[in-house]
Amino acid sequence: MTFCRKPALRAAPAPGPLSPTRRALWLTPFLLPLQSAWAADSALPTALRIATVARVGAAGKTYFTGSTLTVIEDKWLETELGKLGVKLEWVPATVNAVAAQVNEAFASKSIDFAAYGDLPSIIANASGLHTQLIVPGGSLNNTYLVVPANSTAQSIKDLKGKRIALHRGRPWEYQFSQLLEANGLTLADVKVLNLNPQAGAAAVATGGADAFFTLSDAYVLEDKKVGRIIWSSKKPPQDWKMRAELWGDAGFVGKYPQLTQLVATAFVRAHYQLSADNGREAYIQNEAESGQTESVVRRELADDGTPWKDRWSPQLTAGVRQHYADLAAYAARAKLINKPVQVEALFAPQFVKQSLAQLKINTYWTS
Amino acid sequence: MAIQTLLHKAKGLLLPLVLLAAWEWASRQGASAAYVFVSLATMFQTLLHLASSGELWLHLHTSLARTLTGLAMGASIGIAVGTLMAQSRVAERLIGPLYHSIRQVPLLGLIPLLGLWVGNGNSAKLLVIALAAFYPTVLNTSEGIRQVETRFREVGHMLTLGRTQTFLKILLPAALPSIVTGISHALAFSWLACMGGELLFSAGPGLGSMLLNGEVTGQMDQVLLAVVLIALLAQGMNALFNRLARLLVRGRST
Amino acid sequence: MRTALQSTYTPSVAPKAAPPAASFAAATPVRPVPQLVETPAPSTGAPRKSLVERWLASRWSGWLSPVLFLVLWSTATYLEWMPEQILVSPLQVLETGWEMTLSGELWENLGVSLYRLFAGFGIGSIAGLVFGVLLGLSSSLRAYVEPTFNVLRQLPTVALIPLFILVFGIGETFKVFIVIKATFFVVGLAVHDAVRAMSSRYAEVAQIYCFTRWQVIRSIVLPSIIPATLTGVRIALSRAWMVLVGAELLAAESGLGQMMELGRQMFRLDIVMLGVVLTGVIGFSLDRGFRWLERHLMRWKRS
Repeated sequence: MTFCRKPALRAAPAPGPLSPTRRALWLTPFLLPLQSAWAADSALPTALRIATVARVGAAGKTYFTGSTLTVIEDKWLETELGKLGVKLEWVPATVNAVAAQVNEAFASKSIDFAAYGDLPSIIANASGLHTQLIVPGGSLNNTYLVVPANSTAQSIKDLKGKRIALHRGRPWEYQFSQLLEANGLTLADVKVLNLNPQAGAAAVATGGADAFFTLSDAYVLEDKKVGRIIWSSKKPPQDWKMRAELWGDAGFVGKYPQLTQLVATAFVRAHYQLSADNGREAYIQNEAESGQTESVVRRELADDGTPWKDRWSPQLTAGVRQHYADLAAYAARAKLINKPVQVEALFAPQFVKQSLAQLKINTYWTS
Repeated sequence: MAIQTLLHKAKGLLLPLVLLAAWEWASRQGASAAYVFVSLATMFQTLLHLASSGELWLHLHTSLARTLTGLAMGASIGIAVGTLMAQSRVAERLIGPLYHSIRQVPLLGLIPLLGLWVGNGNSAKLLVIALAAFYPTVLNTSEGIRQVETRFREVGHMLTLGRTQTFLKILLPAALPSIVTGISHALAFSWLACMGGELLFSAGPGLGSMLLNGEVTGQMDQVLLAVVLIALLAQGMNALFNRLARLLVRGRST
Repeated sequence: MRTALQSTYTPSVAPKAAPPAASFAAATPVRPVPQLVETPAPSTGAPRKSLVERWLASRWSGWLSPVLFLVLWSTATYLEWMPEQILVSPLQVLETGWEMTLSGELWENLGVSLYRLFAGFGIGSIAGLVFGVLLGLSSSLRAYVEPTFNVLRQLPTVALIPLFILVFGIGETFKVFIVIKATFFVVGLAVHDAVRAMSSRYAEVAQIYCFTRWQVIRSIVLPSIIPATLTGVRIALSRAWMVLVGAELLAAESGLGQMMELGRQMFRLDIVMLGVVLTGVIGFSLDRGFRWLERHLMRWKRS
C-alpha cells in the first residue's frame, strides 16, 4: 500500500489555541513554493463521493439499500475517512435514471465511486470515461418474462413474432438477448416495444403487449392478477442475473489508492455481513422499509439457483470476467456503443485481495 | 340569492359525481381494468394511510414550498428582464430571439447540463421551476409596459418626471394587470415544472416523488392519488391567486 | 395558458397587434409613440444614426444573439469548459444529425412525432373551439361543467400515461390523444374567455336584428373571437409540441422524444442535444409560422 506523503500539518494536532484549520491557513503561504515539488503527491480530497440508488420510502425519508446501507450503518468507512480528514458523501440517484445520472456524474467528476449496473459501466467506458470495477458482487437482480394473465404462451418460443415490451438501454436488455439466443431466436424475430417499466406494465395488463421483460416488478403484476410469469432467471446460470457493483473513477483510484482501499474494505465487510444467514433477513427488512413490497422481495430471493452467500462474493472470478467480456461484445453488436471496450482494463482486483487479507477471510468465499 | 349560489355549486358537483360513478363501474370490470382504474375504496384507504402517517403532509408542503420559492425567484427576474426589454430596444432585440427558441426546449435536454451545473438535488428542481416561472412573466411584463397608453406617458412627461419616477409611478401601476396575469400563468407552469422536476431529478419528498414511487412499486392507487392531488392543488392555488389578484387590481376600468 | 374563467380584469395575454419582422413580442404601440417619449433624435448637425440604431433598424438584428450564443457554445466546447461527453460541440451535433439522416432514423422519428402533433392538434383545436363557444354562450352549461373542466385541465398529462395506455392501447391512438387533451383545454379556455369578453354591444345588435341563435354564432360570435382564438391556438400548438415530446420520452417506441431518451440511456448526449435543437427549432418555426398566419388573417385589423 503506498501512502502519499502527507504534509506535516496533517500530523497529530499539536496543542495550542489555534484550531487545526486555522493552523493550516497560517502555514499555507509558506507551503506555496513547495506546492510544485508535491505536484503529484498533493493533499487528500476534502470529500469522497459515492453515488448509489436511493428511494423515498415511508414518511418521505431517503432510504439506501443493499450493501450501501450496510456500509452506511456500519460507520466504519466514515470513521476511517474522518481520521484522514476526508468527508464521506453519499449521492442519491433515482431508480429510473441511475445509469444516466451516474454516468453524467462520472463525466463531470462530481462523484468518485458508484454502486450501479454492469451495462451502464460498459457504455460509460466506451464513451471515453474510464472507470474500474472495485468490488464485484451484490444482491444480483433476477429478470422475468411476464405475459398477460389470459395468454396461452408458455415460453419465449411461443412469442416469436409477437410484441414484447422492453425498456431499451437498461441493463436487463442483455439478459433478454441471452434468453432469445438460448432459444434460437434473435432480436429481429420479435417486435420490441421500447416502453419504460410503468408503461410496459400497463401495456401487458391490457393485452397491448404480448409480453413484458423486466425485474421483480413482475410480481406486482401477478399479484394484481393481470400477468403471469412464464420465465425467470432464477435457475439458469448466474450470468443471467443483472449485476450492480461498486465502480470507481480510474483517475481517482490511481491517485488515491489508499482511499480506494478503504472503500473496498468497507464494502467487503458489508458483503461479509450480508452473506450470513441473518444478513438475508436484514436485507429483506431494509428493502421493505424503503418502499418495496416485502412479499415481492421474498419471492424474488426464494428458490434461487444461486446461493445467497455466493451472490456477495467479491472475488473477481473467471465467471465475472467472462460476463463482462460477453456484455461488451453484446453492446457492440446491439449498437449500444460505438467503440469497443478493453474489458481487461476494467478490473482492479488488487483492492479486494488486500481487503480479504486484512479481514482474514481469504477462504470465506471459495472461488 | 343564497339558494341560487347553492344551486349553482350543486350543479357544478353533478359532473364530478357522474365521473366518479363511471370510474367505480370501470374498476369492477375485471382485473385488467382494476389495474389502472383502482377502486375508490382502495384509493380512499391509501389516502387515509398516507394522511395519518404524516407522509402526505410532508410531500404536500415540500412541493408547495419549492414551487413558491421557485416562482418568487423566477417571477422577480422575469419582471426585471421584461421591464428591461420594454424599455430598451437593444435588450429586446438581443434577448427576444433567444428567449423564444430556448422556451421550446424540453426539460430532458437540459437535465444533463443542469445536473452538471447544479447537481441533481433541490437546486436543480428550483432552477427548473424558476425557469418555468420566468417565461410567462417576461412576456407579460414587457407587453404590459409596452402597451401602457400614450396619454399616461404624456402625463408623466408633462409633470417632468424622471425616468425612474415615470417607471415607478406610471408604467408599473398601469402594467400591473398584465404583470399579474403573467404571474398567474407562471404559477400554473411552476407547479407543473415542480412535478416534472421531482419526477426527473433525484429522490426526495414531494408530490412528484410520491407519484414516481407509486409508479415504480406498481401502486397505481398512490399514482392516481398523487395525480388528483396535483390537479386539485393547482386549481386551489389558481383560485386563491385570482382572489388576491382581484384585490390588487381593484377599481380598474381596463 | 391559464386564465380565470371568472376574470374581471384583462385576461388575455394575446398580443393585439401585427408584429414587424424581427420584434420580440409581436406588439407595436397602438398609436405611433410621439417624439416626447422616445429618445429625442439628434436635433441638428449630425443626422447620422448611431451604430446601435442602424443595427436595430436592420432586418437581421434578431439574429445577433443566436449567433453569439452559437459562438459561445462552440468556444465552451473547444476550450473544454465542460466534459465533452456532456457539453457536445455544435459540430458534433451536426455530424450526428447528418449520420442519422443518412440512416433514415431521424426522418422516421421526426415524421412520426409531427404526424401525432398535427393529427391531435387538428382534432383538439376544433373540439376546443366548439366546446369553448358552447361554454361561453350557455351559462347553465357553465354551471355544470366549469369546475370539472378546470380540474381536468390541471391534470398532469405525463402522469396519466398508464391510464391512457389502458384505455387506448399502446398504438398511436393514445399519443394522439395526449396531444388532443393538451390542445383541447388550451383552445377551449381561450375561446371561452373570448366569448365571455365579447362586448355586450354586439349582443344588443343581435337583439335589434332579431338574429336566431345560429345567426348570432355565425355572424357575431365567431368573427369577434378570431384574434383571441388564433392566439390561443398558437399557444396550444407550442404547448402540445412540448407535451408530446415529454410523453414520448416515457412511453413511445418511436418519435423524437423516444430518440432522446434512448440517447440519454446510451450516454450519447449528442443525440440528446440533437433532439433538443430539433425540438427547439421546430417549436420556434411552428410558433413563427402561426404568427405569420395570424398577421395575414388579421390584415383587416389596423390596430
